[in-house]
Amino acid sequence: MKAIILAILGIIIAPVLGGLIAGLDRRLTAWFQSRQGPPILQPFYDVAKLFGKEKMVVNQWQVLCAWVYMIAAAVSVGLFFAQSDLLLIFFVQAIGAVFLVMGALAAKSPYSQVGAQRELIQILAYEPILILVFVGIFLTTGSFKLEAVWALDSPMLAKLPLLYIALGYALTIKLRKSPFDFSTSHHGHQELVKGVLTEFSGPYLGLVELAHWYETILVLGLCAIFWSTNVVWMAVLLVATYFLEVLVDNTMARMTWRWMLKRVWLIGMGMSVVNLIWLYAG
Amino acid sequence: MSNLLLLLILLPVAAALVCYFVRSRAVRSLTVTATGAILTVASLGLLAQGEFTYSPGSFLGIMSWDVLITVLDFALLVIMFFYGLKLKNLLIQIFVAAQFVLLLWLEATIDHGMEIPALYGDNLSLIMVAIISIVGSLICIFAIPYMKEHEEHLHLTKSKQPRFFFFLVLFLGAMNGLVLANNILWLYFFFEVTTFCSFMLIGHDETEIATRNATRALWMNSLGGLAFVIGMILMEAKLGTVSIQAILAAGPQGAIMLTGLGFICLAGFTKAAQMPFQSWLLGAMVAPTPVSALLHSSTMVKAGVYVILRFAPAYAGTFLSYGIALCGAFTFVACAALAIGQSNGKKILAYSTISNLGLIIACAGINTPLAITAAIMLIIFHAVSKSLLFLCVGTIEHGIGSRDVEDMRGLYARMPRTTVITIVGILTMLLPPFGVLMSKWMAIEAASQFLIPVVLMAMGSALTVVYWARWGGLLMGTRERGAQPESQATLTRLPLTILVIGSVVLALIAPVIYSGLIAPLFPEGAPFQVSLGVLSSTQGGFAVYPLFLVLGVGLLFALKATSGWRKAKEVAPYVSGSNVETPGSYNGPMDQPVSFSAGNMYLGELFGENKITAAANAVAIALIVLMMGGAL
Repeated sequence: MKAIILAILGIIIAPVLGGLIAGLDRRLTAWFQSRQGPPILQPFYDVAKLFGKEKMVVNQWQVLCAWVYMIAAAVSVGLFFAQSDLLLIFFVQAIGAVFLVMGALAAKSPYSQVGAQRELIQILAYEPILILVFVGIFLTTGSFKLEAVWALDSPMLAKLPLLYIALGYALTIKLRKSPFDFSTSHHGHQELVKGVLTEFSGPYLGLVELAHWYETILVLGLCAIFWSTNVVWMAVLLVATYFLEVLVDNTMARMTWRWMLKRVWLIGMGMSVVNLIWLYAG
Repeated sequence: MSNLLLLLILLPVAAALVCYFVRSRAVRSLTVTATGAILTVASLGLLAQGEFTYSPGSFLGIMSWDVLITVLDFALLVIMFFYGLKLKNLLIQIFVAAQFVLLLWLEATIDHGMEIPALYGDNLSLIMVAIISIVGSLICIFAIPYMKEHEEHLHLTKSKQPRFFFFLVLFLGAMNGLVLANNILWLYFFFEVTTFCSFMLIGHDETEIATRNATRALWMNSLGGLAFVIGMILMEAKLGTVSIQAILAAGPQGAIMLTGLGFICLAGFTKAAQMPFQSWLLGAMVAPTPVSALLHSSTMVKAGVYVILRFAPAYAGTFLSYGIALCGAFTFVACAALAIGQSNGKKILAYSTISNLGLIIACAGINTPLAITAAIMLIIFHAVSKSLLFLCVGTIEHGIGSRDVEDMRGLYARMPRTTVITIVGILTMLLPPFGVLMSKWMAIEAASQFLIPVVLMAMGSALTVVYWARWGGLLMGTRERGAQPESQATLTRLPLTILVIGSVVLALIAPVIYSGLIAPLFPEGAPFQVSLGVLSSTQGGFAVYPLFLVLGVGLLFALKATSGWRKAKEVAPYVSGSNVETPGSYNGPMDQPVSFSAGNMYLGELFGENKITAAANAVAIALIVLMMGGAL
């Protein structure tokens, strides 16, 4: 019962937090670029406006895919709040990721097609890292269940520092930030217009945006559990991590998929494996 | 009991003979369908009765079944040797002749006075029998309209279907015999029958390429047969018995027996087309689609993983076991990577099969109750989903004349029924809450104690997503308003529908399958507790019913939202310029329409067959040497 209440709570709170973070992100980015930036609530106005727009689609598969993406993202956040199995949360999240790609592939549009292929390569890059992070958590806590993390008396970060850095790669990809934002670039009129999102419009784009907020909360939640023993330090860790993300986003140029796959697999996986070897040895 | 066993092993043999000798289409269709129905019921009946041990009396009161099997065994080897001569293939001749000599020697040394039960069934065997009999039968039924169309495409004057169905149906009987055998000599005999059946079926079309690929399948599997005989000899030398139950009870006993087990597992590797033996299964793609479906889902390759899984208790806790886990996990990754580089639908399915078999073998090698549970679950769910996908590709190929996934772009417009079934099939291979993913989840949790296997599994799991998601997405597309759905023959639609429903429903009742069939295999402690449809262990949990409920309601909601899509405005995709009437073009320079197209990225520079295969084969050989060396 407690799990269900927590799950519902998570599903309600997450998009609010996610939207606020998106707003803060824009302010922070503007500050880096010596601009004023929009109000913090701007992402909510944007999404509300999207929901008020006329429904336009290329075909019905897009409607299905947008909804399933949103629902899967919400369910994965619900499972996270309900302290469920980490691998299970991750696989439910993958439903959404896969349906977003399929929705983009459903339209006969070169931009969304190429965007979908790039999105798949992004999934290919971050998936193994996330699984290895969970294996690291398992080796530290003795369980894949999230509740075991709260039973620790010292923060996981001490034992999993390299895995946390590797998680940073996954975070950057998941948040769609430079240098790994090539499947949905933020700015129009670039080589791919808007990648996977090209053909989603109006309310359906709104759903995709909402799902993205859920995913943001999920990935930040994963970062948060690395300092599960102290709320203040958890907050410090999160703020520092997110600040770094925005900094990286604003200082790095977009890279190609080859660059990403090689960097993330070699360096990210390399660090993960090194960290795991300590744990197995310990 | 004895009647059920007789039905499951001998009825297919009888039905095969009817198919071969009665050259009437109607009789053949009726025989195949009726056999399928009877096998289904019999396999479920056997499953309901549970574990058993059985020794048949004598064959027609003349001689013992053991002698008959031995005679048939030598006869089969002679036939295979004959084919080796006919095909002028030295490898086949050597491997078969060596088997013949070694088998003679084994027969001369074993104590024939010792009575051992010929057949034994525990839940693992019974689950296998159910998969073989039900999934296998559905594929045979699907083959009836398929082969008619296939021969029409080829414009044959004389139908070769009698021979085709002879081997197809015989295959089911041989597989049932294989998984129920307790006498390892019986197991070996049926192992060889499946080798021969697959050889005949792959070469069925008698084109040059078919013959070449059939030849390769035969030499590789003869090598497996040879490894099997050597394994039997070593184990018999150590333990003095040919009873599988006795071998399992003995456990790992010294280098000779472990080496014997290593050879048996090597035989399993060749049959399950593990790297570096994958080429025969890829070559098998030239056969008509029902053959591929049968080989990949319910027979042949499953015989390979069954053998490895069967003997898992005998090598538990040894380095051999870890070696097997490494070999399997490596094949899982390498073949998933190879699948990304393919655009041929059947090849993608083939690599995905080998990859999944690798995962099953990795689980057998990890050899904990959790891992074995994952392996058995994966066998069940993979059989259903993979046979479904093969039959879908067969149906699509007859519909559009191509098996290339690029040609399937927007297939929903032309074949909506088949497309939706294919997409569901793909999702059941890929996403939760479906069974294949659940097994993968178990596999990763089971492997998390072992660094290298778990890293390989993490990589393989990500690679898998790429090729499935890409394929599923491109099938979707725009469909003309009010267009007629495609027509399907009843015997085509029936197996497709049963399999697609089965793939979803089996995943839903996974907790029941687990507690009813798999948990009893671990009397010392089953890996999961089940409550309210949630599988939970000390280290994790998978909420099957809650997930089905939440995601099911979510999907229904999404479908409802989708059904109202006509209210939305239908627009052409954005192409950075003005669209023109013809779909797939935009208004270019001089006001002329310019057509565009997009294709999948197959990442050939990273995952091309020519880039990976040689290196991966070398690594696989090294791992097998490591595994065998560890056994010594």
